Amino acid sequence: MTLTVTELLAMSGFDKLDADFYQSSFSVDDQNQGGGGYSNTDVQYSNPYGQYDYSQPMGYSAAPGIMQPQQPYTGQIFQPTPAFTPASTQSMYSSSFEDEPPLLEELGINFDHIWQKTLTVLHPLKAADGSIMNETDLAGPMVFCLAFGATLLFTGKIQFGYVYGISAIGCLGMYCLLNLMSMTGVSFGCVASVLGYCLLPMIILSSFGVLFSLQGMLGIILTAAIIGWCSFSASKIIISALAMDGQQLLVAYPCALLYGVFALISVF
Amino acid sequence: MRGTPMDPGDPRLLFDDTSAGGDRHGHSGVGKGPDVYPGQALLSDPMSNLAMVYGSSLASHGREMMDKNLDRFIPISKLKYYFAVDTVYVGKKLGLLVFPFMHDNWEVSYQQDTPVAPRFDINAPDLYIPLMGFITYILVAGLALGTQNRFSPEILGIQASSALVWLIIEVLAVLLSLYLVTVNTDLTTIDLVAFSGYKYVGMFVGVLAGLLFGRTGYYLSLLWCCVSIFVFTIRTMRLKILSEAAAEGRLVRGAKNQLRMYLTIAIAAAQPIFMYWLTFHLVR
Repeated sequence: MTLTVTELLAMSGFDKLDADFYQSSFSVDDQNQGGGGYSNTDVQYSNPYGQYDYSQPMGYSAAPGIMQPQQPYTGQIFQPTPAFTPASTQSMYSSSFEDEPPLLEELGINFDHIWQKTLTVLHPLKAADGSIMNETDLAGPMVFCLAFGATLLFTGKIQFGYVYGISAIGCLGMYCLLNLMSMTGVSFGCVASVLGYCLLPMIILSSFGVLFSLQGMLGIILTAAIIGWCSFSASKIIISALAMDGQQLLVAYPCALLYGVFALISVF
Repeated sequence: MRGTPMDPGDPRLLFDDTSAGGDRHGHSGVGKGPDVYPGQALLSDPMSNLAMVYGSSLASHGREMMDKNLDRFIPISKLKYYFAVDTVYVGKKLGLLVFPFMHDNWEVSYQQDTPVAPRFDINAPDLYIPLMGFITYILVAGLALGTQNRFSPEILGIQASSALVWLIIEVLAVLLSLYLVTVNTDLTTIDLVAFSGYKYVGMFVGVLAGLLFGRTGYYLSLLWCCVSIFVFTIRTMRLKILSEAAAEGRLVRGAKNQLRMYLTIAIAAAQPIFMYWLTFHLVR
Protein backbone atom coordinates (compact mmCIF):
# COMPACT_ATOMS: atom_id res chain seq x y z
CA MET A 1 0.00 0.00 0.00
CA THR A 2 1.67 3.12 -1.07
CA LEU A 3 0.95 6.37 0.46
CA THR A 4 1.43 9.48 -1.54
CA VAL A 5 3.14 12.61 -0.44
CA THR A 6 -0.06 14.46 0.21
CA GLU A 7 -1.52 11.81 2.36
CA LEU A 8 1.55 11.75 4.45
CA LEU A 9 1.47 15.48 4.78
CA ALA A 10 -2.15 15.37 5.78
CA MET A 11 -1.29 12.79 8.33
CA SER A 12 1.15 15.04 9.92
CA GLY A 13 -1.42 17.76 10.21
CA PHE A 14 0.16 19.98 7.68
CA ASP A 15 -2.41 22.18 6.08
CA LYS A 16 -1.03 24.95 4.08
CA LEU A 17 2.36 25.82 2.97
CA ASP A 18 2.78 29.39 1.99
CA ALA A 19 6.47 29.53 2.09
CA ASP A 20 8.95 30.20 -0.59
CA PHE A 21 10.53 26.91 0.13
CA TYR A 22 8.60 23.88 -0.59
CA GLN A 23 9.89 21.27 1.70
CA SER A 24 8.61 17.99 2.68
CA SER A 25 10.72 15.60 4.52
CA PHE A 26 10.23 11.98 4.66
CA SER A 27 12.03 10.14 7.26
CA VAL A 28 11.74 6.50 6.92
CA ASP A 29 13.21 6.16 10.32
CA ASP A 30 10.74 8.32 12.10
CA GLN A 31 7.42 8.25 10.42
CA ASN A 32 5.72 10.47 12.95
CA GLN A 33 8.22 13.14 12.48
CA GLY A 34 8.06 12.78 8.78
CA GLY A 35 5.62 15.55 8.19
CA GLY A 36 6.32 17.71 11.10
CA GLY A 37 8.20 20.92 11.20
CA TYR A 38 7.18 22.58 7.98
CA SER A 39 8.67 25.97 8.22
CA ASN A 40 10.87 28.26 6.30
CA THR A 41 14.00 27.26 8.05
CA ASP A 42 16.10 24.40 7.06
CA VAL A 43 16.13 22.91 10.46
CA GLN A 44 14.01 20.11 9.34
CA TYR A 45 16.75 18.98 7.08
CA SER A 46 18.23 17.37 10.07
CA ASN A 47 16.70 14.21 8.79
CA PRO A 48 19.46 12.21 7.33
CA TYR A 49 19.13 11.72 3.64
CA GLY A 50 20.77 8.77 2.21
CA GLN A 51 21.95 8.39 -1.26
CA TYR A 52 19.24 8.78 -3.75
CA ASP A 53 19.60 6.04 -6.20
CA TYR A 54 18.30 7.07 -9.59
CA SER A 55 19.29 3.88 -11.12
CA GLN A 56 16.47 2.23 -9.35
CA PRO A 57 13.12 3.33 -10.64
CA MET A 58 11.69 0.88 -8.25
CA GLY A 59 13.19 2.82 -5.45
CA TYR A 60 11.70 6.02 -6.75
CA SER A 61 8.24 4.71 -7.10
CA ALA A 62 8.44 3.30 -3.68
CA ALA A 63 9.63 6.53 -2.18
CA PRO A 64 6.20 8.10 -1.80
CA GLY A 65 5.18 4.98 -0.12
CA ILE A 66 7.74 4.97 2.55
CA MET A 67 5.56 2.95 4.76
CA GLN A 68 7.34 -0.08 3.54
CA PRO A 69 9.73 -0.79 6.25
CA GLN A 70 10.69 -4.04 4.76
CA GLN A 71 12.60 -2.37 2.00
CA PRO A 72 16.21 -1.41 2.44
CA TYR A 73 16.51 2.30 3.04
CA THR A 74 19.77 3.09 1.44
CA GLY A 75 18.10 4.77 -1.46
CA GLN A 76 14.58 5.35 -0.35
CA ILE A 77 14.64 8.62 1.38
CA PHE A 78 12.78 10.94 -0.78
CA GLN A 79 13.40 14.62 -0.97
CA PRO A 80 10.99 15.95 -3.48
CA THR A 81 11.42 19.60 -4.18
CA PRO A 82 14.58 21.10 -2.84
CA ALA A 83 14.89 23.13 -5.98
CA PHE A 84 12.18 25.57 -4.98
CA THR A 85 14.40 28.24 -3.68
CA PRO A 86 13.57 31.89 -4.15
CA ALA A 87 16.34 32.14 -6.63
CA SER A 88 14.60 29.71 -8.85
CA THR A 89 11.31 31.55 -8.96
CA GLN A 90 12.47 32.55 -12.38
CA SER A 91 12.31 28.99 -13.49
CA MET A 92 8.94 28.74 -11.87
CA TYR A 93 7.59 31.00 -14.53
CA SER A 94 8.39 28.51 -17.20
CA SER A 95 7.35 25.44 -15.27
CA SER A 96 4.35 27.06 -13.68
CA PHE A 97 2.32 26.70 -16.80
CA GLU A 98 2.70 22.97 -16.61
CA ASP A 99 1.88 22.71 -12.96
CA GLU A 100 -1.43 23.14 -11.35
CA PRO A 101 -2.25 26.48 -9.71
CA PRO A 102 -2.05 25.35 -6.11
CA LEU A 103 1.67 25.03 -6.50
CA LEU A 104 1.89 28.73 -7.16
CA GLU A 105 -0.23 29.50 -4.19
CA GLU A 106 2.13 27.59 -2.02
CA LEU A 107 5.03 29.46 -3.47
CA GLY A 108 3.37 32.76 -2.83
CA ILE A 109 3.32 33.76 -6.47
CA ASN A 110 -0.21 34.97 -6.76
CA PHE A 111 -0.81 35.62 -10.43
CA ASP A 112 -3.96 37.53 -9.74
CA HIS A 113 -2.16 39.98 -7.50
CA ILE A 114 0.71 40.32 -9.90
CA TRP A 115 -1.70 41.11 -12.68
CA GLN A 116 -3.59 43.54 -10.49
CA LYS A 117 -0.42 45.37 -9.57
CA THR A 118 0.66 45.51 -13.20
CA LEU A 119 -2.68 46.97 -14.16
CA THR A 120 -2.39 49.53 -11.39
CA VAL A 121 0.92 50.62 -12.83
CA LEU A 122 -0.42 50.73 -16.34
CA HIS A 123 -3.40 52.90 -15.45
CA PRO A 124 -1.86 55.82 -13.65
CA LEU A 125 -5.08 57.73 -13.34
CA LYS A 126 -7.03 54.98 -11.67
CA ALA A 127 -7.09 55.05 -7.89
CA ALA A 128 -4.95 52.39 -6.29
CA ASP A 129 -5.92 49.93 -3.64
CA GLY A 130 -3.55 50.20 -0.73
CA SER A 131 -3.85 46.66 0.44
CA ILE A 132 -2.31 45.01 -2.57
CA MET A 133 1.08 46.05 -1.45
CA ASN A 134 0.87 44.18 1.77
CA GLU A 135 2.70 41.20 0.45
CA THR A 136 6.27 41.57 -0.57
CA ASP A 137 6.51 40.16 -4.02
CA LEU A 138 9.91 40.42 -5.58
CA ALA A 139 9.29 37.98 -8.39
CA GLY A 140 7.58 40.55 -10.62
CA PRO A 141 10.22 43.24 -10.12
CA MET A 142 12.95 40.76 -10.87
CA VAL A 143 11.28 39.91 -14.16
CA PHE A 144 10.94 43.58 -15.00
CA CYS A 145 14.57 44.32 -14.21
CA LEU A 146 15.69 41.47 -16.38
CA ALA A 147 13.38 42.56 -19.18
CA PHE A 148 14.78 46.08 -18.93
CA GLY A 149 18.31 44.77 -19.13
CA ALA A 150 17.33 42.59 -22.04
CA THR A 151 15.86 45.47 -24.01
CA LEU A 152 19.01 47.46 -23.29
CA LEU A 153 20.96 44.49 -24.59
CA PHE A 154 19.15 44.82 -27.90
CA THR A 155 20.60 48.28 -28.31
CA GLY A 156 24.05 47.00 -27.60
CA LYS A 157 24.45 48.21 -24.06
CA ILE A 158 25.43 45.45 -21.70
CA GLN A 159 24.58 47.23 -18.49
CA PHE A 160 22.87 44.77 -16.21
CA GLY A 161 25.28 45.76 -13.48
CA TYR A 162 24.31 49.41 -13.64
CA VAL A 163 20.61 48.54 -13.63
CA TYR A 164 20.92 46.39 -10.55
CA GLY A 165 23.29 48.75 -8.79
CA ILE A 166 21.16 51.81 -9.36
CA SER A 167 17.98 50.00 -8.38
CA ALA A 168 19.62 48.79 -5.19
CA ILE A 169 20.88 52.23 -4.22
CA GLY A 170 17.61 53.84 -5.24
CA CYS A 171 15.57 51.38 -3.24
CA LEU A 172 17.75 51.97 -0.22
CA GLY A 173 17.40 55.71 -0.53
CA MET A 174 13.63 55.55 -0.98
CA TYR A 175 13.37 53.18 1.98
CA CYS A 176 15.18 55.64 4.26
CA LEU A 177 13.18 58.59 2.96
CA LEU A 178 9.81 56.88 3.25
CA ASN A 179 10.57 55.68 6.73
CA LEU A 180 11.34 59.23 7.74
CA MET A 181 8.39 60.77 5.96
CA SER A 182 5.57 58.46 6.84
CA MET A 183 3.80 57.87 10.11
CA THR A 184 4.00 54.11 9.82
CA GLY A 185 7.22 52.60 8.64
CA VAL A 186 7.73 50.53 5.54
CA SER A 187 9.66 47.40 4.98
CA PHE A 188 12.41 47.31 2.46
CA GLY A 189 10.72 44.57 0.49
CA CYS A 190 7.60 46.65 0.03
CA VAL A 191 9.59 49.60 -1.33
CA ALA A 192 11.60 47.39 -3.64
CA SER A 193 8.45 45.71 -4.85
CA VAL A 194 6.66 48.96 -5.68
CA LEU A 195 9.65 50.52 -7.39
CA GLY A 196 10.24 47.36 -9.36
CA TYR A 197 6.68 47.17 -10.61
CA CYS A 198 6.73 50.76 -11.72
CA LEU A 199 9.77 50.05 -13.84
CA LEU A 200 7.40 48.59 -16.42
CA PRO A 201 6.90 51.78 -18.48
CA MET A 202 10.68 52.17 -18.58
CA ILE A 203 10.79 48.88 -20.46
CA ILE A 204 8.46 50.39 -23.04
CA LEU A 205 10.85 53.34 -23.34
CA SER A 206 13.91 51.22 -23.85
CA SER A 207 12.13 49.05 -26.40
CA PHE A 208 11.34 52.23 -28.31
CA GLY A 209 15.03 52.96 -28.05
CA VAL A 210 15.69 49.78 -29.96
CA LEU A 211 13.57 51.01 -32.84
CA PHE A 212 14.73 54.59 -33.08
CA SER A 213 17.25 56.78 -31.36
CA LEU A 214 15.92 58.59 -28.33
CA GLN A 215 18.17 61.60 -28.54
CA GLY A 216 15.95 63.68 -30.75
CA MET A 217 13.11 65.93 -29.73
CA LEU A 218 10.56 63.14 -29.90
CA GLY A 219 12.79 60.98 -27.74
CA ILE A 220 13.12 63.67 -25.12
CA ILE A 221 9.37 64.21 -24.95
CA LEU A 222 8.76 60.46 -24.77
CA THR A 223 11.37 60.11 -22.04
CA ALA A 224 9.88 62.89 -19.98
CA ALA A 225 6.39 61.44 -20.37
CA ILE A 226 7.51 57.96 -19.35
CA ILE A 227 9.44 59.23 -16.34
CA GLY A 228 6.35 61.12 -15.27
CA TRP A 229 4.21 58.04 -15.75
CA CYS A 230 6.52 55.81 -13.73
CA SER A 231 6.93 58.19 -10.84
CA PHE A 232 3.27 59.12 -10.76
CA SER A 233 2.10 55.54 -10.48
CA ALA A 234 4.83 54.68 -7.96
CA SER A 235 3.87 57.60 -5.76
CA LYS A 236 0.19 56.78 -6.12
CA ILE A 237 0.72 53.22 -4.92
CA ILE A 238 3.01 54.30 -2.09
CA ILE A 239 0.76 56.96 -0.68
CA SER A 240 -2.27 54.72 -0.84
CA ALA A 241 -0.35 51.97 0.92
CA LEU A 242 1.07 54.25 3.61
CA ALA A 243 -1.86 56.64 3.95
CA MET A 244 0.23 59.74 3.47
CA ASP A 245 -1.93 62.66 2.56
CA GLY A 246 -0.84 65.69 0.63
CA GLN A 247 2.56 64.23 -0.09
CA GLN A 248 2.12 62.63 -3.47
CA LEU A 249 4.30 65.08 -5.34
CA LEU A 250 6.90 64.88 -2.61
CA VAL A 251 7.11 61.12 -3.03
CA ALA A 252 6.92 61.39 -6.81
CA TYR A 253 9.95 63.66 -7.03
CA PRO A 254 12.56 61.20 -5.66
CA CYS A 255 10.96 58.46 -7.76
CA ALA A 256 11.30 60.71 -10.78
CA LEU A 257 14.97 61.23 -9.97
CA LEU A 258 15.51 57.49 -9.74
CA TYR A 259 13.68 56.72 -12.96
CA GLY A 260 15.47 59.62 -14.57
CA VAL A 261 18.73 57.84 -13.94
CA PHE A 262 17.30 54.72 -15.57
CA ALA A 263 16.18 56.82 -18.50
CA LEU A 264 19.68 58.26 -18.75
CA ILE A 265 20.98 54.73 -19.14
CA SER A 266 18.47 53.96 -21.87
CA VAL A 267 18.96 57.15 -23.78
CA PHE A 268 22.72 57.62 -23.61
CA MET B 1 -5.53 7.05 -3.73
CA ARG B 2 -3.13 9.26 -5.46
CA GLY B 3 -0.84 6.62 -6.66
CA THR B 4 -0.35 6.40 -10.31
CA PRO B 5 -1.41 3.37 -12.19
CA MET B 6 1.87 3.43 -14.07
CA ASP B 7 4.24 0.61 -14.18
CA PRO B 8 6.88 1.11 -11.53
CA GLY B 9 9.48 -0.18 -13.88
CA ASP B 10 8.75 2.50 -16.39
CA PRO B 11 11.78 4.76 -16.70
CA ARG B 12 9.55 7.69 -17.53
CA LEU B 13 8.07 7.35 -14.12
CA LEU B 14 10.74 9.61 -12.73
CA PHE B 15 8.96 12.58 -14.19
CA ASP B 16 5.43 11.44 -14.66
CA ASP B 17 4.87 10.30 -11.17
CA THR B 18 5.09 13.77 -9.82
CA SER B 19 2.70 15.54 -12.13
CA ALA B 20 0.26 12.80 -12.92
CA GLY B 21 -2.59 11.64 -10.77
CA GLY B 22 -3.50 15.09 -9.61
CA ASP B 23 -0.73 15.19 -7.14
CA ARG B 24 -1.27 18.57 -5.72
CA HIS B 25 2.10 19.21 -4.29
CA GLY B 26 3.71 19.15 -7.68
CA HIS B 27 6.94 17.32 -7.62
CA SER B 28 8.22 18.71 -10.82
CA GLY B 29 11.24 19.74 -8.93
CA VAL B 30 12.20 16.16 -8.71
CA GLY B 31 12.92 16.30 -12.37
CA LYS B 32 15.72 18.57 -11.42
CA GLY B 33 16.74 16.19 -8.75
CA PRO B 34 20.04 15.12 -10.17
CA ASP B 35 21.03 18.73 -10.52
CA VAL B 36 20.25 19.79 -7.03
CA TYR B 37 20.93 16.73 -5.10
CA PRO B 38 24.68 17.14 -4.72
CA GLY B 39 23.98 20.51 -3.20
CA GLN B 40 21.32 19.10 -0.99
CA ALA B 41 23.86 16.94 0.68
CA LEU B 42 25.19 20.12 2.25
CA LEU B 43 21.81 21.16 3.57
CA SER B 44 21.01 17.77 4.88
CA ASP B 45 24.06 17.75 7.06
CA PRO B 46 22.91 18.48 10.61
CA MET B 47 25.91 20.61 11.35
CA SER B 48 25.23 22.95 8.51
CA ASN B 49 21.61 23.22 9.58
CA LEU B 50 22.80 24.27 12.96
CA ALA B 51 25.15 26.73 11.36
CA MET B 52 22.36 28.21 9.27
CA VAL B 53 20.04 28.66 12.23
CA TYR B 54 22.86 30.18 14.24
CA GLY B 55 23.74 32.45 11.37
CA SER B 56 20.22 33.74 11.00
CA SER B 57 19.95 34.37 14.71
CA LEU B 58 23.27 36.22 14.60
CA ALA B 59 21.97 38.34 11.76
CA SER B 60 18.82 39.32 13.63
CA HIS B 61 20.85 40.03 16.75
CA GLY B 62 23.21 42.17 14.76
CA ARG B 63 20.34 44.04 13.26
CA GLU B 64 18.87 44.83 16.67
CA MET B 65 22.21 46.06 17.85
CA MET B 66 22.62 48.22 14.80
CA ASP B 67 19.19 49.75 15.25
CA LYS B 68 19.93 50.51 18.85
CA ASN B 69 23.28 52.11 18.14
CA LEU B 70 22.05 53.95 15.11
CA ASP B 71 19.45 55.61 17.23
CA ARG B 72 22.17 56.82 19.52
CA PHE B 73 24.14 58.55 16.79
CA ILE B 74 21.40 59.66 14.48
CA PRO B 75 18.28 60.53 16.42
CA ILE B 76 15.67 59.07 14.15
CA SER B 77 12.70 60.62 15.93
CA LYS B 78 14.19 64.09 15.69
CA LEU B 79 14.89 63.55 12.03
CA LYS B 80 11.29 62.56 11.48
CA TYR B 81 10.25 66.03 12.56
CA TYR B 82 12.21 67.57 9.73
CA PHE B 83 10.54 65.36 7.16
CA ALA B 84 6.98 65.98 8.28
CA VAL B 85 6.26 68.12 5.27
CA ASP B 86 3.61 68.27 2.66
CA THR B 87 3.38 69.55 -0.87
CA VAL B 88 1.90 72.92 0.03
CA TYR B 89 4.71 73.67 2.47
CA VAL B 90 7.38 72.67 -0.02
CA GLY B 91 5.84 74.81 -2.72
CA LYS B 92 5.60 77.85 -0.50
CA LYS B 93 9.10 77.37 0.87
CA LEU B 94 10.61 77.09 -2.58
CA GLY B 95 8.83 80.27 -3.52
CA LEU B 96 10.20 81.88 -0.41
CA LEU B 97 13.73 80.80 -1.23
CA VAL B 98 13.53 82.39 -4.62
CA PHE B 99 11.57 85.48 -3.61
CA PRO B 100 11.84 86.26 0.11
CA PHE B 101 11.21 89.97 -0.19
CA MET B 102 7.48 90.07 0.39
CA HIS B 103 7.29 87.80 3.39
CA ASP B 104 6.60 89.55 6.65
CA ASN B 105 6.46 87.20 9.52
CA TRP B 106 9.59 85.12 9.93
CA GLU B 107 8.87 83.84 13.39
CA VAL B 108 8.79 80.15 14.03
CA SER B 109 5.61 79.25 15.84
CA TYR B 110 5.73 77.07 18.87
CA GLN B 111 3.29 74.79 20.49
CA GLN B 112 4.00 74.50 24.19
CA ASP B 113 7.75 74.82 23.86
CA THR B 114 8.12 72.44 20.97
CA PRO B 115 8.35 73.83 17.51
CA VAL B 116 5.42 73.10 15.27
CA ALA B 117 5.98 70.63 12.47
CA PRO B 118 7.02 72.15 9.15
CA ARG B 119 3.68 71.18 7.69
CA PHE B 120 1.96 73.87 9.69
CA ASP B 121 4.57 76.57 9.80
CA ILE B 122 6.31 77.86 6.75
CA ASN B 123 9.16 79.31 8.74
CA ALA B 124 10.21 76.05 10.29
CA PRO B 125 13.31 74.40 8.83
CA ASP B 126 13.00 71.06 7.13
CA LEU B 127 15.40 68.56 5.65
CA TYR B 128 13.40 67.42 2.65
CA ILE B 129 14.21 70.42 0.49
CA PRO B 130 17.95 70.41 1.25
CA LEU B 131 18.16 66.67 0.61
CA MET B 132 16.27 66.80 -2.67
CA GLY B 133 18.14 69.93 -3.65
CA PHE B 134 21.44 68.23 -3.01
CA ILE B 135 20.58 65.16 -5.06
CA THR B 136 19.14 67.25 -7.88
CA TYR B 137 22.22 69.43 -7.88
CA ILE B 138 24.45 66.37 -8.18
CA LEU B 139 22.40 64.98 -11.06
CA VAL B 140 22.28 68.30 -12.89
CA ALA B 141 26.03 68.65 -12.37
CA GLY B 142 26.45 65.25 -13.97
CA LEU B 143 24.22 66.34 -16.82
CA ALA B 144 26.18 69.57 -17.29
CA LEU B 145 29.45 67.73 -17.33
CA GLY B 146 27.97 65.21 -19.70
CA THR B 147 27.08 67.87 -22.22
CA GLN B 148 30.65 69.06 -22.09
CA ASN B 149 31.88 65.52 -22.55
CA ARG B 150 33.62 65.59 -19.24
CA PHE B 151 31.41 62.99 -17.68
CA SER B 152 32.43 59.79 -15.99
CA PRO B 153 30.73 58.05 -13.08
CA GLU B 154 33.56 58.98 -10.77
CA ILE B 155 32.90 62.64 -11.43
CA LEU B 156 29.47 62.30 -9.83
CA GLY B 157 31.04 60.89 -6.73
CA ILE B 158 33.65 63.64 -6.65
CA GLN B 159 31.01 66.37 -6.98
CA ALA B 160 28.84 64.80 -4.32
CA SER B 161 31.62 64.37 -1.82
CA SER B 162 33.07 67.81 -2.33
CA ALA B 163 29.68 69.47 -1.89
CA LEU B 164 29.07 67.40 1.22
CA VAL B 165 32.46 68.29 2.67
CA TRP B 166 31.91 71.98 2.11
CA LEU B 167 28.55 71.68 3.83
CA ILE B 168 30.13 69.98 6.83
CA ILE B 169 32.87 72.60 7.00
CA GLU B 170 30.33 75.40 6.88
CA VAL B 171 28.16 73.89 9.59
CA LEU B 172 31.18 73.32 11.81
CA ALA B 173 32.37 76.87 11.27
CA VAL B 174 28.96 78.27 12.18
CA LEU B 175 28.79 76.08 15.27
CA LEU B 176 32.24 77.20 16.32
CA SER B 177 31.45 80.85 15.89
CA LEU B 178 28.15 80.49 17.72
CA TYR B 179 30.05 78.95 20.57
CA LEU B 180 32.69 81.67 20.57
CA VAL B 181 30.16 84.46 20.53
CA THR B 182 28.27 82.68 23.32
CA VAL B 183 24.91 83.05 21.78
CA ASN B 184 21.98 81.54 23.61
CA THR B 185 20.03 80.12 20.83
CA ASP B 186 17.92 77.10 20.22
CA LEU B 187 19.52 76.37 16.90
CA THR B 188 20.40 72.72 16.74
CA THR B 189 22.98 71.20 14.46
CA ILE B 190 20.29 69.76 12.25
CA ASP B 191 18.71 73.21 11.94
CA LEU B 192 22.02 74.55 10.73
CA VAL B 193 22.36 71.73 8.24
CA ALA B 194 18.88 72.55 6.98
CA PHE B 195 19.57 76.26 6.62
CA SER B 196 22.89 75.64 4.92
CA GLY B 197 21.25 73.16 2.62
CA TYR B 198 18.76 75.63 1.24
CA LYS B 199 21.39 77.05 -1.06
CA TYR B 200 21.40 73.89 -3.16
CA VAL B 201 18.10 75.01 -4.61
CA GLY B 202 19.70 78.21 -5.85
CA MET B 203 22.67 76.30 -7.19
CA PHE B 204 20.39 73.96 -9.08
CA VAL B 205 18.49 76.86 -10.63
CA GLY B 206 21.71 78.53 -11.63
CA VAL B 207 23.22 75.47 -13.26
CA LEU B 208 19.96 74.70 -15.06
CA ALA B 209 19.79 78.24 -16.41
CA GLY B 210 23.40 77.90 -17.46
CA LEU B 211 22.57 74.72 -19.35
CA LEU B 212 19.60 76.23 -21.09
CA PHE B 213 20.75 79.79 -21.72
CA GLY B 214 24.53 79.71 -21.57
CA ARG B 215 26.83 81.77 -19.43
CA THR B 216 24.68 84.87 -19.31
CA GLY B 217 21.73 82.90 -18.10
CA TYR B 218 23.92 81.28 -15.47
CA TYR B 219 25.28 84.55 -14.15
CA LEU B 220 21.92 86.28 -14.08
CA SER B 221 20.07 83.52 -12.31
CA LEU B 222 22.97 82.94 -9.93
CA LEU B 223 22.98 86.61 -9.03
CA TRP B 224 19.28 86.56 -8.33
CA CYS B 225 19.53 83.39 -6.25
CA CYS B 226 22.49 84.72 -4.31
CA VAL B 227 20.64 87.87 -3.40
CA SER B 228 17.54 85.99 -2.35
CA ILE B 229 19.49 83.45 -0.28
CA PHE B 230 21.31 86.32 1.39
CA VAL B 231 18.07 88.02 2.35
CA PHE B 232 16.46 84.75 3.36
CA THR B 233 19.34 83.75 5.59
CA ILE B 234 19.61 87.12 7.24
CA ARG B 235 15.93 87.29 8.00
CA THR B 236 15.81 83.75 9.33
CA MET B 237 18.98 83.82 11.35
CA ARG B 238 18.34 87.25 12.74
CA LEU B 239 15.51 85.98 14.81
CA LYS B 240 17.49 83.10 16.10
CA ILE B 241 20.80 84.70 16.86
CA LEU B 242 20.14 88.30 17.77
CA SER B 243 18.50 89.26 20.96
CA GLU B 244 14.81 89.89 20.86
CA ALA B 245 15.05 93.62 20.95
CA ALA B 246 17.47 93.84 18.10
CA ALA B 247 15.48 91.35 16.08
CA GLU B 248 12.48 93.58 16.23
CA GLY B 249 14.42 96.27 14.50
CA ARG B 250 15.06 98.60 17.36
CA LEU B 251 18.60 99.81 17.50
CA VAL B 252 20.36 98.25 20.43
CA ARG B 253 23.81 99.42 21.27
CA GLY B 254 26.36 97.13 22.73
CA ALA B 255 29.32 95.14 21.61
CA LYS B 256 27.52 91.86 22.05
CA ASN B 257 24.73 92.72 19.70
CA GLN B 258 27.11 94.11 17.16
CA LEU B 259 29.08 90.91 17.26
CA ARG B 260 25.94 88.91 16.74
CA MET B 261 24.93 91.07 13.84
CA TYR B 262 28.31 90.59 12.21
CA LEU B 263 27.96 86.88 12.73
CA THR B 264 24.58 86.82 11.05
CA ILE B 265 25.87 88.81 8.11
CA ALA B 266 28.90 86.56 7.84
CA ILE B 267 26.73 83.44 7.74
CA ALA B 268 24.51 84.98 5.13
CA ALA B 269 27.44 86.13 3.04
CA ALA B 270 28.99 82.70 3.09
CA GLN B 271 26.04 81.28 1.19
CA PRO B 272 26.55 83.12 -2.12
CA ILE B 273 30.27 82.49 -1.94
CA PHE B 274 29.70 78.75 -1.67
CA MET B 275 27.06 78.86 -4.34
CA TYR B 276 29.46 80.41 -6.79
CA TRP B 277 32.38 78.24 -5.74
CA LEU B 278 30.53 75.00 -6.25
CA THR B 279 28.98 75.79 -9.59
CA PHE B 280 31.25 77.97 -11.68
CA HIS B 281 33.29 75.09 -13.00
CA LEU B 282 30.17 73.37 -14.27
CA VAL B 283 29.17 76.00 -16.75
CA ARG B 284 31.36 76.79 -19.67
